[in-house]
Amino acid sequence: MAAASTKIIDFAAERALAKDFLSNFAGPRGEPKYLNILQDVANRKIRAVQIELDDLFHYKDADDEFLQRVTENTKRYIGIFAEAIDELMPESTEAYVVDEDRDILMTQRVDEGADGGADGTDPLQKMPPEIRRFFEVYIKAFSKVTPLTIRQVKASNIGQLVKISGIVTRCSDVKPLMQVAVYTCEECGFEIYQEVTARVFMPLFECPSQRCKLNKAKGNLILQLRASKFLKFQEVKLQELAEHVPKGHIPRSLTVHLRGELTRKVAPGDVVEMSGIFLPMPYFGFRAMRAGLVADTYLEAMSITHFKKKYEEYELKGDEQEQIDRLAEDGDIYNKLARSLAPEIFGHEDVKKALLLLLVGAPHRKLVDGMKIRGDLHICLMGDPGVAKSQLLKHIINVAPRGVYTTGRGSSGVGLTAAVQKDPVTNEFVLEGGALVLADMGICAIDEFDKMEESDRTAIHEVMEQQTVSIAKAGITTSLNARTAVLAAANPAWGRYDMRRTPAENINLPPALLSRFDLLWLILDRADMENDLEMARHVVHVHQNLESPALGFTPLEPSVLRAYISAARRVVPSVPRELEEYIATAYSSIRQEEAKSNAPHSYTTIRTLLSILRISIALARLRFSETVAQSDVDEALRLMQMSKYSLYSDDRQRSGLDAISDIYSILRDEAARTNSMDVRYAHALNLISRKGYSEAQLKECLEEYASLNVWQIHPNTFDIHFIDA
Amino acid sequence: MVGPQYDLVGNPLGAVRSTFERAASGGHEPVAAFRGKDWGAGELFRSFLFEQGGLDKVPVLDESNLGLIKPNTLVRFRGMVQDMLGNEFYVGAFKDGSTWRTNKFSDSSPFSMPHPCDSHLWERHLFHCVPVPGQNSWTHESSPGPDVRRMSSCLTSEQREKRKRGAENDAMEVSENCNGEASCTKKPKDDDAQISNSSPEVSMNEEHVPEMNGGDHHIPGSSFSCLVKVYDMAESQVKLNDVAEFIGVYTFDPELASPSDNSDDIMFDLIEDVTAQLPPSKVPRLHCLVWRSLSAHDFLSRSPAVEPSPILLKGIRQSLLSHLTLVLGNDELAAQCLLLHLLSRLRNKVDVVTVGRLSMNFTGFNRESVSVFGNQLNNLIQRLLPYSQTIPLSIEYLNTATLQPRKDNHSGRLVTGVLQLPQGTHLTFDETLLQSGSLTSKGVENTMLLKNLMESQMVEYDFEFYKLEMATDVQLLTLSEGKSNILPSDLIVPFRPSSVPAVNASSEELESWRWYLATVRSFPQSTETETYQTIQDEMVNAMRDDRNLGCSELSRWLTMAQITAASFGETSLSMEHWQMVKELERLRKERLQ
Repeated sequence: MAAASTKIIDFAAERALAKDFLSNFAGPRGEPKYLNILQDVANRKIRAVQIELDDLFHYKDADDEFLQRVTENTKRYIGIFAEAIDELMPESTEAYVVDEDRDILMTQRVDEGADGGADGTDPLQKMPPEIRRFFEVYIKAFSKVTPLTIRQVKASNIGQLVKISGIVTRCSDVKPLMQVAVYTCEECGFEIYQEVTARVFMPLFECPSQRCKLNKAKGNLILQLRASKFLKFQEVKLQELAEHVPKGHIPRSLTVHLRGELTRKVAPGDVVEMSGIFLPMPYFGFRAMRAGLVADTYLEAMSITHFKKKYEEYELKGDEQEQIDRLAEDGDIYNKLARSLAPEIFGHEDVKKALLLLLVGAPHRKLVDGMKIRGDLHICLMGDPGVAKSQLLKHIINVAPRGVYTTGRGSSGVGLTAAVQKDPVTNEFVLEGGALVLADMGICAIDEFDKMEESDRTAIHEVMEQQTVSIAKAGITTSLNARTAVLAAANPAWGRYDMRRTPAENINLPPALLSRFDLLWLILDRADMENDLEMARHVVHVHQNLESPALGFTPLEPSVLRAYISAARRVVPSVPRELEEYIATAYSSIRQEEAKSNAPHSYTTIRTLLSILRISIALARLRFSETVAQSDVDEALRLMQMSKYSLYSDDRQRSGLDAISDIYSILRDEAARTNSMDVRYAHALNLISRKGYSEAQLKECLEEYASLNVWQIHPNTFDIHFIDA
Repeated sequence: MVGPQYDLVGNPLGAVRSTFERAASGGHEPVAAFRGKDWGAGELFRSFLFEQGGLDKVPVLDESNLGLIKPNTLVRFRGMVQDMLGNEFYVGAFKDGSTWRTNKFSDSSPFSMPHPCDSHLWERHLFHCVPVPGQNSWTHESSPGPDVRRMSSCLTSEQREKRKRGAENDAMEVSENCNGEASCTKKPKDDDAQISNSSPEVSMNEEHVPEMNGGDHHIPGSSFSCLVKVYDMAESQVKLNDVAEFIGVYTFDPELASPSDNSDDIMFDLIEDVTAQLPPSKVPRLHCLVWRSLSAHDFLSRSPAVEPSPILLKGIRQSLLSHLTLVLGNDELAAQCLLLHLLSRLRNKVDVVTVGRLSMNFTGFNRESVSVFGNQLNNLIQRLLPYSQTIPLSIEYLNTATLQPRKDNHSGRLVTGVLQLPQGTHLTFDETLLQSGSLTSKGVENTMLLKNLMESQMVEYDFEFYKLEMATDVQLLTLSEGKSNILPSDLIVPFRPSSVPAVNASSEELESWRWYLATVRSFPQSTETETYQTIQDEMVNAMRDDRNLGCSELSRWLTMAQITAASFGETSLSMEHWQMVKELERLRKERLQ
C-alpha cells in the first residue's frame, strides 16, 4: 500500500501487454481461447470473461514481473484488462435477443455523441466505459496453489489476489448495486454520468454541464434509473473450516462481496474455495471519522469453486502424485495403508484391512442387457459395547471424501432413505434425501444398525443390492441413486455377546440382510493373557510417559491416504481367464464345506462369489494393477475366512480339533484331492491362511508331524512330502 | 531511559509516542520494520511494572470503578478470554509532515490522517474478555490496585454525563443478549437506536427479557466485560478460555461511543462490526501493553517463598486431610478420596485417553444430608480453589440451561454456555434434586455434553455448520443418592458420615492449604521404570483374578497412585504409594458391596 511501488508503471504499456495476451493466447488445441470468449460475449452468450493466471503463466511472452504485478494490484489490472477488451471486442456474428431499454439508450447515446452536441470537455458528460460494457472481467488465481486459511490472510495481503477456503455461514439477498448513475438535466437536457465505486454515493443535484454553468441555470438533475447501470451484488460470510482452526482457538470469518455473475453461487453450509482481492473497506459518513484508524476488510470474489467431494473428481495436489508413486513401489503398501487407518485404535489389523478395501471398492459393472452389478463393498462390524466400533466408523468417514455418519435411529424425520415432505412456504411436496441418498458415490456409516426402524431396514435391502431408493409417496413415484458403500456397526442381540447362544441368535439380523454384507466382522471384548499384558503395558506406558507407545511405524497422513485411494479407484482391473477356474474351485469348496457341516454358520450364496471378486478387484486396485492376481484372490478368501473365524472360533474349540491337527487335516485333504504326495510350502501357506491360521502355526505343525515321521520337510524350501504309510 | 520523563501510569501514550518517534527518527525507512514488532515501548513498561514495582500503582479495572478511571491511563484487567473477534487493521504508522507518528495502543489520533500512501496498515488482535466464571472471592484479595475513587477527583463532568448515558443503555445490553434466541429476530443495532431515540421503546424491549435464559454471561449479576486489543503477538499464544492479566491503556472516546447513525447501516446486512455490539460505554477498551497468563499460584496472596520440601508438604497434607475428614463427618475414606480428587489435573490427552483426571461421585446423599454436608463441602472448595461452581442438576435445569457455547453467525459472536470454563475449574453437581421426568431434546443434548465432558474432558462448541471440540481441564464432583448414570465418574465412593460437621478453618490454615493444592498440582512427575514394571505385573495378576477389570480401572489406579505420591511431595512413584492406593481401593470396594 504505502508507496511500495517506487517504480512508475506505464499503464498504457500494461494495457498493450494485456491486449497482446488476450489476442495471442492459444488454448490447449491451439485455438485463440480468449478471442473465442470475446466473440461469445459479443454475441451476448456469456457475460463473464475469466482470465486465468494459469494461462498468463503459460503464455509464451509473459514475463514474471507482469504476472506479479497482476497478483499484487489486481483491482487495477481488472480495469486494464477491461480496457484491453474494449479495444479488442469483435462485432457480433449472430443475432441476439435485444435488451430493449439498454440498446435503445445506447444507440441514442452513440447518435448524440456523433452529433458532437455535447461539450465533450466535461468529464461528467463523457460516457464512462462501464456503461457500454456488456461483460465482467474476473481474474482467477492459480488453480494449483494451496488455498490460504482465513487466519493466514494478513495486512500484507491487502490489494492482492488471494485464494482461500472456508465454509459459507451467511448469505445476504442479492441486491442491485449502482455502477453508473445517469442523470438528465431539466435545463439543458444533457445526460450526466456519475461513476459509483463505493457502496454509498452522494447524488448530484446541480447540472455540472458547461451550458448550465454558463447560463447560471443550476439545472435540476433527475436520476434515470432505467438508464443507469446496476450490478447484482451479494454479501457472504465465509468462516474457517474446522480442520484449519488451531487447537484452543475459534474460527475466524471474513466478509466476501460477490458481484454480477458470481452472485447466487453459494448457499450457507457450502464448503468453497474462493479467489478474490483482499481490500480495505472505504468508510463514509460518520464512520469516516474512524476511518483513519480502523479499516474493515473484505474479499472481492473473483472465482468460486465448490469443493469436490467425489473421489472421481479428486485433484492431486503438488507432490502427491510423487508420494503415491513412491508408496506404490513399496511392497508392503497394503499393510501400511491398513495400519494408518485409525492408528490410535490398537490392533484389529484384519478389520482395518477390510475397511481399507471398503474405501477402495470395485468398479461398478453394467452388463450389456442393462443389469448392474454393484462394486461397493458392504461391511458390518458387530461387537460388544466399548470396542471402538463407533470410532472406527467415524475415522473412515473422515478419510472418505464423501461420507455420512448416521445412527440407525436417524435424527431427522427423513430417516435413512428419503421422504416426501410438504414445503411450509409453497405447500408443494418436495423430495428430501436421507443419509443414504446424501452419501451417493461415497460411504454411509450407520451406527446402531440393529436399532434401526423397521421401515428403514426394509428399504436398505434395495439400497444395498440395487443401489437405488424407490419412493412412491404422495403422488411422487421415483427412484433415487444411492450408490453407497454401507458400513454398519451393530451390537449383539442382548447388548453383549452371549457365548452360550448360537451366533445366529446373537446377531439378530435377518439372513436376507446379512447376505448382502460382503464381510461381517465380530469384534469381541475377549480377554486372554496376551491381551491383558498388552493392555497393562499400554496403560502404564501412557501414564508414565504421557504418550502412546510407539506404533513401530509412522502412520500416513489422512490426506495422503485419501490421495492414494482416489488414485487407486481410477484403476479398473479385470479378472484373467486362467483365474476363473481357481475362483470357481474355491467357491465350490466353500459350498461343499458348508453342506458337510451339520450347523452351517454362513449362507454361502452366489453373492459370496461376487464378494470374493469384489474384494480381489479392490486388492488389485491397491497395487495399481490392471489384472487380478491369484494372490489377490487368496487374500480375499483369507479375509472372508477371518471374518467367519471371528464369528465361529468357539465352535472350532468345541469340535475338539486344535490348530495343529486342523492344519494337518487341511494339508492331508489337499494332498488327497490333488492325488499327489507333495504339497509345496507356499501353497500350504495359502491354504491355511485362508482358514485363518498363521505361518507360525504352520511351522509348528510341520515340525511336530515331521517328528512323527508323517511327512518330510525339504530343508531349504520347506516343501512337504508325505510319507506313505 | 525515558522512564522519569513520563508518568507511565497517568500518560502511557506519551511514553509510547516518544519512544516511537525516537526509534523512527534514526536510520533509513525504519518504520516498515516496526510492523508486528516492539520498538522498546513494551520493554519500558515491562521493566517499570515488574522490576520497579509499578504494578501496585496500576488500578484494577472492574465493574465498580468503570466510570471512575480516567481514559488514556494505565489499567489492569484480569479475566478469561471468552471470544476471539479476529484481527483488526489500523493505521499503525503515518507521516505527519516529515515525522513518523504512531497510533499503536490508541483508538483515535490527535493528528489528521494523511494520504494512505504515507501510512502503514498494521494489525492487532481483539479478545473479548470477561471476569473468570466462578472465580472465588478470595482471589481478589491477592493483588489489589490503588483505590481509584481517591484518584478520580479529576474526572470531568462531561464524562460523568457519558456514564449516565451508559447506565441508560443497560436495558439495551440485556435485550442484546436475546439476539441469540431464535425467537428474537430483531437486530441488536436496531434496539440500540430505538432506545436512544425514544423511551417507550425501552419498556417494549424489556418484555424480551423473560425470553432469554441465562443471558450472555452465566455469572449472576455480572455483565461486565472488556475488549482487549493485543499487539505483536504470535497467533497461538493466547487461547480461548485462558485466564490472563492484561495491562494496558484504557481508552474511551465519547464521540466514538455515541450510537452511530442508523441510516449508515441500512445497506450493511453482513458487515456489521462486531465491536459495534459492544458499546464502549459498557465494554471498556483496553490496549494491551503487557500481558501474562495467570495460574493458580498467581492468586495466592503474597505466596510464601518456601521450597516445597516433602516434610513441609506432608505436614500441610495431614492438616488438610484432618480438616476434610471433619467436614465429611469423620468419613476418612471419603476424605482421602476427596483429597486425591482435589489434587487431580489433566496431565495429558493421549489419543482418546485422558491421563490424570479423577472425577468423583459421592453416593448416599439425600436432600437433607446435602444441605448439611454438601454446603460445608462447597464452602470449603470455594475457599480452597480459585474457580468453582455448583450446578443443581434437576430436570428443569437440564431442559432449560444453555450449557453449550454456540457461535451466533448473525452477530458474529460466541454466545457463552455454562461449560465455557477456564482450565482448572471445579464443578460440583448436585444430583439429589433430580426427579423422574422427561427430557426435551435440549435436555438430551445437555446430558450428552456433560457425559462427554466427564468421559473425555472435551466440550463441543457449536459453530452451526460444524462442531469444534475444545479441550478442558475441569474437576468434576457429583453428589448423588445412588451411582450417577448421567454423569459417569471415575471414582465412586459411598459416603458414610458419623458426625455432624462444625468446623471452621483459620485464614492462615486456608492460605497454606491453597498454596499446598496449587503447588502439588503443578508438580512434575518423573518416570521411573522399575516401579512401573512391578505395577504392570500386579495389574496382569489382578486382571486374571477379576475378569471385569478394564482399561479404565487400571488407568484410574495409576492416576490415584501418582497423585498420592505427589501429595506427599514426592516426584516419583514408589511401591509404598501403590500399596496405599490398593488399600484405599479395597476399603472402597467393601463399601460398594
